[in-house]
Amino acid sequence: MRPRPDRDAEPHLLAEEDFLREVHSFDFWFEAVSGYLEEQPFGHDPDLVETPMDDVARDSLITTLCNYCVGETAALEASSGLVRLAPNHHSRVFLATQVVDEARHLEVFMRRLEDLGVEDPEAEIDRRANQGLEDFRSRLLELVDRGDWDAAVFAQNVLLESMEDTVFRFHEQSADEITRQVLVGVVADERRHLGFGENDLGRRLAHDPSGRRRLAEVRAELDPLVLGSFEGVYRDLGIARQDQPELGRHYLDAVERLGLTA
Amino acid sequence: MNETTLDTAESSIVTSSADAAPRRTFELDDTGFKEVPKRWRKFYRHWQGAGDELAPNEVICPVCKVVIRSHREFRPGDRVYCMPCMSRLVVVERPDGRLEADVLY
Amino acid sequence: MADFLSQYSIQRWLEMCPQGYLEDTVYGHEEGLAEPDDIMGDEDLRVASIALTVQLIAGERCALAASSGLVNAAPDDASKTFLATQTLDEARHVEIFTKRLVDLGVRKEDVNSTVDELANPNLVKFAEVLLEKVADGDFIAGVVGQNIVLEGMAFSVFELLEATSKDLNPKFAQTLSGTIADERRHVGFGENRIGSLIREHPERREDIERMQSEMTYHMLATFADVFSASGDSMDRGRQLAADHGELDGADMKWHGTDLATASTEDMEAVLANTVLGEFKTRLGRIGLEYRSPKVPA
Repeated sequence: MRPRPDRDAEPHLLAEEDFLREVHSFDFWFEAVSGYLEEQPFGHDPDLVETPMDDVARDSLITTLCNYCVGETAALEASSGLVRLAPNHHSRVFLATQVVDEARHLEVFMRRLEDLGVEDPEAEIDRRANQGLEDFRSRLLELVDRGDWDAAVFAQNVLLESMEDTVFRFHEQSADEITRQVLVGVVADERRHLGFGENDLGRRLAHDPSGRRRLAEVRAELDPLVLGSFEGVYRDLGIARQDQPELGRHYLDAVERLGLTA
Repeated sequence: MNETTLDTAESSIVTSSADAAPRRTFELDDTGFKEVPKRWRKFYRHWQGAGDELAPNEVICPVCKVVIRSHREFRPGDRVYCMPCMSRLVVVERPDGRLEADVLY
Repeated sequence: MADFLSQYSIQRWLEMCPQGYLEDTVYGHEEGLAEPDDIMGDEDLRVASIALTVQLIAGERCALAASSGLVNAAPDDASKTFLATQTLDEARHVEIFTKRLVDLGVRKEDVNSTVDELANPNLVKFAEVLLEKVADGDFIAGVVGQNIVLEGMAFSVFELLEATSKDLNPKFAQTLSGTIADERRHVGFGENRIGSLIREHPERREDIERMQSEMTYHMLATFADVFSASGDSMDRGRQLAADHGELDGADMKWHGTDLATASTEDMEAVLANTVLGEFKTRLGRIGLEYRSPKVPA
């Protein structure tokens, strides 16, 4: 039986295989999420009281959260579809943890919508969904349905997750305390997802550089859908253009590292 | 975080450095980073953004922007792991002398 | 429906599993437990344990593929949410049984080839019937096949294995115990969610009952193969346990059968009867009629 890493060991000393076994395991996932979700039912301190909010701010927040739900639903449906396509056991287990992460995000955002007075969140999401994001969702699911692992991982775990990560972090800074705590937990999950996506694709492209051109084409097609959608979120949050962080910077850094800039 | 004298028992930890000068070692405290299992938490901390000066035993993960820490002072060529985003990285020295981490696929 | 589904939220799942009965476990059991010397020191028993564990992995891989595939087909967010938790439960089961295979001495790089080589062909066909429905996006048939038939079978198999391992192999028994706790939720969801859908779509009954019959056929054939091949190793295991006094005072009764003394035929019979009895009861509750397989297995 292979021993577990020593409790005081420096993680950087693990053999690469042991590192991947550790971080892609169910045990790692549940110890990690227990750390930041314990005593935070539905993603926030249950004793928090609602910050007073005027009707305009509430309505904008509802639109924003509805579009977060569209993104999370796309991620839930795509990641669950990817489980069957996973090329190995560790990726399969990791994706299963991502499926439940995405479902949790959907749940906490929908619960937040209810807190804000939305009686039927599913219907409200349909009403307020950004068309570009809906188009992205359809396109992503097409990639999953045709079994295109590389393109689907890129679209979901690099493109969508990078955008969400940037927007959620930015939103954290101006959000009411309940929404902020919810977003902090979601961002902690996103770190795993975008890291998995970039590293998995990076390894595969290192072995087969010919895949870069095809992924660059996928990227060219999907970029405008997601970028446009999240720019819309900034507008909904009432943020002046000069105050917006550069939405694509984090994503473009990842694209550059993967060599998909051509 | 307390700086300590070199622990010779650990001197074989990092073997890839070109610099033979002894490395400083550091005791690591838990900084409240909770996104990895308990036994790994002290090896990571949240980056506070511009103005957050890194210690010699710290580098930023370019993928997820978490600060990666070690008991040992980093040198170019060191391999490090970012557990929060599952990336494998190597420490590199930029032309201005700063140490950063590049992703290894 | 919404009220019933609210108990299957991610929040509740987190409180029940990672923060509940799985807390302080490593790969589903207390840290430090190992496979018993009786198994590791006897080549025949070790090989038999590997063969048995492979069947569990094959079943759980099927459940993982099915539950993840059904997320997309689910008609509402609450069902998607539940199936997301089930996906992770199944992935955990694949992981812990795969870990057991490695603990039993299978090299990590040989896990897939070992599973391919030893997975029972009838169990593979059982999985294919279900995964065809999932691939078609057929939510009702997929959930009946997965959460009633597959999970119903797994539930009883794990119970039987836990009863035989409780005193002889605490590591394996603890692993099974956590798995059974998960399966309870899965069969509960299957019954509760599908009952209303069957009432809304009575035209689907014929097709679904046919699927159930086909899956049952392959399940019974799997039981027959596995039990007929395990007679010698079972006798050997009992002999070793008796020699070491491990059967003294051991409670190995399951559904009225003493598993410490039962023949393989008796064990196969009690397992098959229990599973089929459960099928009939559960299917009846959701408005489906149990259909016997065409050819007696």
